Amino acid sequence: MYAAIGAALYAVVTWAFNVWQIPGAGNVGIRPAVVIPMFFGIAFGPIVGFITGFVGNILADLLSGYGFWVWWDLGNGIMGLIPGLFSVLITNYKAGRSIFLAEISVVLGVLFGMGLAAISEMWVSGADMNTVIFANFLPAFLTNVLWGLVLLPLLMVAYSAIVSQSGR
Amino acid sequence: MLVTWNYRYRNSLIDHIDPRARFIFSFAVLLAATSTWNPLLLAIIFVISIAWYSSAKLSWQDTKRGWLMISILLFTMIVVNTIITGGGAGGVVPEGGQLVWPEGFNLFGRHMTFGLTVERLWFAVAQLMRILSISLVFIMIPYTMDSRAYGVTFRKLGLPDRLAYTMELSFRFIPTLARNFQVTLDAQRARGFELDSVKGGILSKVRRIAPLIIPVTMNAIVSSEDIANAMDLRGFGQQKRTWLYELKYQWWDYAVIAFAVVLLGVIVYLAYGHGMRLFEVPQWWYGLFS
Repeated sequence: MYAAIGAALYAVVTWAFNVWQIPGAGNVGIRPAVVIPMFFGIAFGPIVGFITGFVGNILADLLSGYGFWVWWDLGNGIMGLIPGLFSVLITNYKAGRSIFLAEISVVLGVLFGMGLAAISEMWVSGADMNTVIFANFLPAFLTNVLWGLVLLPLLMVAYSAIVSQSGR
Repeated sequence: MLVTWNYRYRNSLIDHIDPRARFIFSFAVLLAATSTWNPLLLAIIFVISIAWYSSAKLSWQDTKRGWLMISILLFTMIVVNTIITGGGAGGVVPEGGQLVWPEGFNLFGRHMTFGLTVERLWFAVAQLMRILSISLVFIMIPYTMDSRAYGVTFRKLGLPDRLAYTMELSFRFIPTLARNFQVTLDAQRARGFELDSVKGGILSKVRRIAPLIIPVTMNAIVSSEDIANAMDLRGFGQQKRTWLYELKYQWWDYAVIAFAVVLLGVIVYLAYGHGMRLFEVPQWWYGLFS
């Protein structure tokens, strides 16, 4: 259920910023939604994180009319999976240590997720390593890490309030 | 915010082919195209992909957004990296080669030299055929496949039931979440939230998204718990799942799958069994530049 909600949410927010063109954040980046699979991974574990990123990216591409690119979908899944692996270490969502671990998971998740997707372009498009690094990997890595590092702690603190209010 | 799927029934040939057969065909083209740099084999795959794409009766108006994305990719990879800088051809095209303009050329009254080789130019053609072949078969999927079919298609293709059902369920949630997103955006704007403001540094611009993302995400999580409870009460997951949208193979679906398997088999056999895997330049191409 959480994975389904996460995937739908990831798709809607990505689509809204991509296609519906909210002129958000003055050209800083185009996918603030990347924080959603990361957060769902941290909150609900690696499987939910992976499905949120993987299915959410498929749906976002379907909504936007961008086609079906399974290697980028897998990359997005990994961006949720790796933070999910850290979820067992995170108990108090607003503790400094938890937020620090979550931030590390963001960097690792984006590194491996976007790394895999970008490297797959060598196989698919025949791109060389320079192209992969400078045209595919770095733009995706830098913007996604930026969104994740800034927005994930805010989501964690907000979620901790919900957890404590509802006694989850 | 109105969510509209790109699919509509066009009564095309593709509309009558089972989604599973179409996915199998698309992945066969992907694997075939990525197993060779031989221009003849790539040209065959390219022609088949064009025929496949044409059978969907898609208009430019339908697909222009997707093609814009592909054009940016092609421009970066082929024009910038292969033709202009030559970096993109590294590892596939051997060093050196025959220059297209060995004496240089005059542009706006100035003599220019440009290290573009005949081999690199041919590689750009091969790269164009490979990327376009893959793009043609994958870009058409959102426009030609009914959104009700994805969950059951992935399930019947062997993906776990939970993953397939998650996909199915996500489709149902999208209109609701899009509406919540719009309501939240409007509510925050009514409070003076300046999403469109260009003031401040990078971090402040990123943080400006938070008043939109946080309430939408938290609201989605809280409401999902109610749905999860309702599903548990109805015994979800206790028995093998059935699907409202059923898929049934017809004889032509088997023909499409057989064609895909044969295509992949022949290309892989020629590429690996007959030395047609690597990049090579045909003699007639050199003749054009002599």
